[in-house]
Amino acid sequence: MSERIEEHPILGVQKKGKTVKFTMDGKEIEGYEGEPIAAALKAAGLMVHRYTQKEHKPRGIFCAIGRCTDCVMIVDGVPNIRTCITPLKDGMTVQTQYGVSGIPFEDQ
Amino acid sequence: MNSVNDRSRDIGPFVPGADDDMLICRCEEITKGEIRQAVHDGMWTITEIRRYLRAGMGLCQGQTCSRLVKGIVARELGVSPAELEPATSRVPMRPIEMHVFANEAREVDQHES
Amino acid sequence: MKRYDLIIVGAGPSGLSAAIEAAKKGLDVVVFDENEKPGGQLFKQIHKFFGSKEHRAKVRGFVIGQQLLDEADEAGVKVVLNATVIGLYQDKEVVVRIGEEICHYKADAVVIATGAAENMVTFPGWTLPGVIGAGAAQTMMNLHGVKPGKRILMLGSGNVGLVVSFQLLQSGCEVVALVDAAPRVGGYGVHAAKVARTGVLFYLSHTIVSAEGDECVTGVTIAEIDDKFNFIPGTEKHFDVDTICLAVGLSPMSQLLKMAGAKMEDNPKRGGQVPICDEYGRTSIPGVFVAGDVSGIEEASSAMIEGRMAGIVAAEYLGYIDDKVMETELAGLDKALDGLRQGMFAPKNRGKSIEKTEEGIDISQNLLKKGFVGDDEIERFPGVTHRKGIHPVIECTQNIPCNPCQDVCGKKCISIGDNITSLPIAVTDSECVNCGMCVASCSGQAIFLVDEDCGDGSATVTLPYEFLPLPAEGTKGIALGRNGQEVCEATVVSVKSLKAFDKTNLLTMRVPKEYAMKARFFRVKTEEAAV
Repeated sequence: MSERIEEHPILGVQKKGKTVKFTMDGKEIEGYEGEPIAAALKAAGLMVHRYTQKEHKPRGIFCAIGRCTDCVMIVDGVPNIRTCITPLKDGMTVQTQYGVSGIPFEDQ
Repeated sequence: MNSVNDRSRDIGPFVPGADDDMLICRCEEITKGEIRQAVHDGMWTITEIRRYLRAGMGLCQGQTCSRLVKGIVARELGVSPAELEPATSRVPMRPIEMHVFANEAREVDQHES
Repeated sequence: MKRYDLIIVGAGPSGLSAAIEAAKKGLDVVVFDENEKPGGQLFKQIHKFFGSKEHRAKVRGFVIGQQLLDEADEAGVKVVLNATVIGLYQDKEVVVRIGEEICHYKADAVVIATGAAENMVTFPGWTLPGVIGAGAAQTMMNLHGVKPGKRILMLGSGNVGLVVSFQLLQSGCEVVALVDAAPRVGGYGVHAAKVARTGVLFYLSHTIVSAEGDECVTGVTIAEIDDKFNFIPGTEKHFDVDTICLAVGLSPMSQLLKMAGAKMEDNPKRGGQVPICDEYGRTSIPGVFVAGDVSGIEEASSAMIEGRMAGIVAAEYLGYIDDKVMETELAGLDKALDGLRQGMFAPKNRGKSIEKTEEGIDISQNLLKKGFVGDDEIERFPGVTHRKGIHPVIECTQNIPCNPCQDVCGKKCISIGDNITSLPIAVTDSECVNCGMCVASCSGQAIFLVDEDCGDGSATVTLPYEFLPLPAEGTKGIALGRNGQEVCEATVVSVKSLKAFDKTNLLTMRVPKEYAMKARFFRVKTEEAAV
C-alpha cells in the first residue's frame, strides 16, 4: 500500500537510523531504528493496529502525535503503547491489540 | 443562573435520529444516540456526561471527542456550545501508568543535562 | 523540588521564542515539551513562510525551527524533551512526567505555550484506518519520510488543508479531490491556486457522506450540501481512495490553564476554550502567561511574536527589566504583529465575506469557489501587466501580509509599497533581467516570468517547480492552465536550481504564444497521465 519517500523535493534524502528487524504478529519486518513503530508499520503496508474492545472495529494511525491513542498496540508484551511516538528498537515484538489483549477475540 | 443550570426547563422528549449510531468517543466507543439519550436522562453538563457514559474518559482523555460531545449536548439542550462548561481539567493531563504516577523523583536535576 | 524563574510549557514556535527573550534578559528558564523533538509543528512546515523580513518571510518553516533552536541554545535556554507537563498547581507548581518519574518544579512565572489540537468531523466510517488528521499526514511524510497513502481525499480548504495537499503532492501522493463544506475556499488563494494548477479538483459546498471499507478505507463518497448542511440528493460523487485526510480546524489546548484556575472563555473567534488574557498574554493569574495557539488559533509567525511578548512581560513581572524597557520592546513587536494581522485573512475579518480588495478590485470568485483565478479574471489585477520581453506576472490577487517579492527584485520591477498587504504591482517601465528571484521568493508560488512573444510564434513561461523528478531540458509535456486542465503542448527549455532559490526550481517551458497567459504548470507526458 504505502511506501517510503526515497527523495523529497524539499527535504532531500532523509537521514535514517540503521535498519533493524522486529516482529509484527510473529512476522519479521524491517524498519529504521528510532523511527516510530507506526512509521515502520505504515511503510510495510500495515493499516490495522488494533480492534476495539466493544465493537471489535479496526483502528490505525489517526493523529500520529500521541494524542488520540488510536494506534496503540502490544509492544514487548505491554498493551496500550502509542506506536506513533514510540521509537522502534531492534528485536521488538509488536502485536495487534484486541481490546487490551494480544489474543484475537475469538480465542479470548 | 444560566439555561444549562435551569433544570426546571423542559427540553422535550428524546427523538431518535438517523445518525444516532455514529461513534463519537473513539476510545470508549460511545455513540451520538447514547450521548443524546443521556441528556434526556438528566445529564446536562459535560462532566455529568463523562461520568455517566465514560465519553471522554478513555485513553485519550477527550482529546478527540470533547468538542464533538459539547456540540451534541448543546444542540440537545438548545443552547450554544459556548455556554457549556468544559469538563474539569485535572492531573494527569495525559494517560500515565499508575506505577509511573506514583513514582516521585528524588532528584530532578538529572533530567536537565 | 527545583525552582526556576520561568517555566515554559511547550517548545514550539511561541514557547521557544518566549524562552529566548526571557533568557536574554537574565531569567533562569526551562522549557518542557512532551515530544521527542523540539520545534512543535515547525519541522513539518516545509513551505516558505509569508510576511516580511522581520517575520522571516520566504524562509521555510523547518529552517525557522532550526534557527529558533540555535537561538535558544545561544541564549542558554534549557529544553527538556519527552517531558510531559501533567499538572499546573497553585503557586506555579509544575508537575512533569519525565521518563518513568514524576518531577515537581516551582516557577516564579509560567508561560503556557501548549499550542492546539486538531478538530475532527464525524461521518460513517470515520474511525476506519486510513482516515487521518492532516497533522498526521504531515508528520508521516515530512518527519518520518513515509507516504500517508497513495490516493488521498482532503477535507478542509483552510490553509492547513491547502498546504498539506500540496505537501502530499510533493511526497508523490495523488490528491484526488479537495473538499470543503463551506461555499468558499478558507485559506489563502495562492495556496489554493498552486494546488489547483496541478489538476486537483476542488469541491466546495461538499462534504463526506461516508468512508467505505471493512478493514481500512477503500473509497469515499462526497455530496453537495445546501445552506442548511443537508445533502442534496443526486449530487453524490465517489472516489477510490486509500486515505482521507481531515483538516477541519484547530482548538486551543488550554486544559492546563483551566486547571490552574485561570479565567477562561469560549471564544469562537479564537478557536474555542481560551484563557482571558491581554494583548501580551497576561492571564487572570499574576505570573501566568500564554502565547501562541493556546490563546487563540493563528499561525506560526504570529505565535513567535506572541512568544517574544510573553517572554518580555514575564521578565518585567519578575523585575529583570523595568517597565520602560518593556514598553519599548513591546512597541516594536506590536508593530510586527499588527503587520501580520492585516488583510483579507486577518483575525478581525474572520467570518466576513470580502468582495473587493483594498484597492477596490473585485476578488476572483473562481478562486474562492474552485481554487484558481479564471483566465477572464486575471487581467484585472495589478501584478498582471504586459510588455515586450521577459517580465514578471504576479498572480497575487488577495490582500495578504507578504512582501518578499518587492525586496528581492533589484530592478524594482515589483512594487508593494509600505502597506504589506497591498497587491504587488508589476512595474511596466522597469527592466527585468530574468534573474528568477521573484519566482523563487514568492511563498505563494504566484509569480511567473513570461516572454509573451519570442518572435517565432512561441512564448516562454517560467514557473516555480517543487516536485520530483525534475524534468530535464528538452522534455516534452503538457502545459496545464490555472485550473489544472490541459491547455497545450509544452517543451522544457531550461531548469534552474540555484542555492538562492532554496529548493524552488525554476522551470521554463516553451508554449505557443497564444497560451502565454494561460499555461501555468508543466506535466510530463507519461503513460499514466494519458489515462
